[in-house]
Amino acid sequence: MNLLTALAIGVLFGVGIFQLLRRNVIRSVMGLVLISNAMNLFLLSMGAYNGEAAAYAGSSAQISDPTPQALALTAIVISMGGFAFVLAMLYIISLRYKTSDSDHIQELKH
Amino acid sequence: MSIHWLVILPILLPLSGAVFGLLLRKFARLQFSLSLAAMLVALASSVGLLIYTFNESPVVVQIGRWPAPAGITLVGDLLSAFMVVMSQTVLTTGLLYAVACRDKCVHYPAFYPLFLILATGLTGSFLTGDLFNLFVFAELMVISGSLLTASADDRYGVEAAYKYFYISLLASVFLLLACGALYASYGTLNIADLARRIQTSPNLPLTQISMVLLLAFFMVKSAVVPFHFWQPDFHAASPTAVSAMLSSVIVKLGIYGFLRMTSLLFLEQAGLIRAALIVLGCVGVLLGGFSAIGANHLKRMLAYSTIGQIGFILVGIGWGTPLSLTAALVFAFNHSLIKSAMLMLAGAMASRAAVKSAAFNILEGIGKASPLAGGLFLIGGIALAGIPPTNGFISKLVLFKSGLEVQAFAALALIGAASALSLVYVLRAFMQIWWKMPTSGVKTKPDGDRLIAPALLLGGCVALGLWSEPLIGLSMQIVNWMAEPGRYIQAVFGG
Repeated sequence: MNLLTALAIGVLFGVGIFQLLRRNVIRSVMGLVLISNAMNLFLLSMGAYNGEAAAYAGSSAQISDPTPQALALTAIVISMGGFAFVLAMLYIISLRYKTSDSDHIQELKH
Repeated sequence: MSIHWLVILPILLPLSGAVFGLLLRKFARLQFSLSLAAMLVALASSVGLLIYTFNESPVVVQIGRWPAPAGITLVGDLLSAFMVVMSQTVLTTGLLYAVACRDKCVHYPAFYPLFLILATGLTGSFLTGDLFNLFVFAELMVISGSLLTASADDRYGVEAAYKYFYISLLASVFLLLACGALYASYGTLNIADLARRIQTSPNLPLTQISMVLLLAFFMVKSAVVPFHFWQPDFHAASPTAVSAMLSSVIVKLGIYGFLRMTSLLFLEQAGLIRAALIVLGCVGVLLGGFSAIGANHLKRMLAYSTIGQIGFILVGIGWGTPLSLTAALVFAFNHSLIKSAMLMLAGAMASRAAVKSAAFNILEGIGKASPLAGGLFLIGGIALAGIPPTNGFISKLVLFKSGLEVQAFAALALIGAASALSLVYVLRAFMQIWWKMPTSGVKTKPDGDRLIAPALLLGGCVALGLWSEPLIGLSMQIVNWMAEPGRYIQAVFGG
C-alpha cells in the first residue's frame, strides 16, 4: 500500500508537470489540476498509517490522525473554486484571442 | 472588552464589511461608506495592537479556545502588528483612490467587497500563527486580487488575472507541499510549535526540502527574481487601485515570510537562506533597474522598479545584522507608501490621456495640463531614487550604513550603482510626461482620477523623511524582539 500510494503520487506529479509545461493553455491548466490532486494525495498520506479507525471522541481503537484529512478536505474545496475560476478565465481568453497557444496570449507585452 | 479583540478585529471587520457590503449592493454610496468605515476601524484597532504589543506584550488568541498546537492560533507580535499597520494604511488609501477614480470597474457591486476580502486575506496572513491557515488566507487574497484584475476596464485584464492566478496556484502547491513535509516530520503546523521542534531536531530528511518549498512560495508572493515574470504583465492591465495594493503591500507578504523563516523557523539553516537572499536580491536590483529603464509603459516601469526595490530589502535581510534588519523593515514600510502613491499617480495620468493607457507614447506631454500631479510625481520619484528630504533617502541611508558595518563592499557597490538606475528611470518618465510637448492633435481630458490618495501617501513619505526617528526606533524594537525566538514560542504557549 505504501509503494502504491507513493507510485500514484509520483505518477500524478510527473504527468502533471509534463502537462504544465505544454504550450496549450488548457493542457497546462489540466497539469495544474493533476498536480493539485497529487498534492491532496500527498497530504492524505501524511497521516494514513498511524491507525485504522476513524477519529471519534471516545473510540478505543488506534485512531488515524484526522488533521491531514481535514487539510486535504480544505485544499480540495479551495482548489475546486480556484479551478472553476481559471477555467472561466480560459473561456474568456479563448473567445477573445481565438487561440489556446500560450505563445499567442501575450498582448500585455506590446 | 478583552484585549484579544485587537487581534481579531483587523481580520473580522474587513470580512464582515465585505459580507454586509454585498447585502448593500443596490446602494453604492452606502456600500462605499460601510467599506471605508470597516477599513478605518480595522486600521485603528491594528494601530492599537501595535501600541499594545510595543508597550506590553504580544497578544495571542486561540480560536475557539483550543489550546495552541491543536487549534488555530492568531499571534499579534510586534513584527506582524507592524506589517498589518503598514498594509492597512495603504489599503485604506486604496479605497480612497478607488472612490475618486474614473474606472468603470469600481462601480461593479462586488468591487468594494472584493477589495475588503483582499484586505482580510493580507491581514490574516500576517496575523496567523498556523502554516495551513496561512495557505487559506493567502488563497483568499489571491482569488480576490485576480477577480478584481479580471474585472478591469482594460481588455487585457483577463490575461493579466490569468497569469497572476496561475502562478499563485502553483505557489499554493509549493506551500501545501511544505505543509505536508513539515507535518510528516514534526507532526504539527503551528508555527511556534514547529519552531520549537525544528530547534530540537533541525536535520530531519524533509526539513531542508520544506524550507526550499516555503522559500519558493514566499518568492512568488514577493516577485523575487526567478519568479518575477507575472508582475510586470499583471500591473499593466490591473485596475489602478488594485495594482497599487499588489505592488506595495501584498509583495511584503514574502518579506514577512523571509523574516519569520530566518528568525524563527529555520534558525539552523538561516545562514543558507540569507546567502541565497543576498544573491537573489543583488540580481533583482540589477534586473529590476535595467528592465525599468527599458520599459515603454509607466506601470510596467513601476512594476520592474518594485522588483528592484524588493531586491534592496532582501539584501538587508540577507546581511542579517540588527542594523540591516532594521533597514529592511524601514525600507519595506517606506516602499509601500512610495510605490502605491506612484502607481496611483500613473493611473491618474492614464485616466487623463485620450486613450486610457499608461504607455509612454500615449502619455507623452499629457502632464502639461496637470502640474500638481507632476509635483507629486517628482516627490515620489526622488523618494524612489532615495534623495532627501524623503523617506526613500532614510531607508537607503540605513541600509548602506548597515552594509558598511558588515563590510560587504561588493554587494554594496552593486546596489549603490543600481540605485542610480532608479534615478534614471524616474527622471526619464518625468521628462516624457511633463516636459515634452504633446503631439499635435492629441487632446487631454480636463479631468481624471482625483489626486487625494497619492497626495496623502506622499505627505506621509515627506513626513517620514523629515522625522524618521519613530519609525527607525520601532523597527529596532521589532528586530530586538525577533532576535529572541524563544519569547515568541513562550508567548504562544505560555498564555
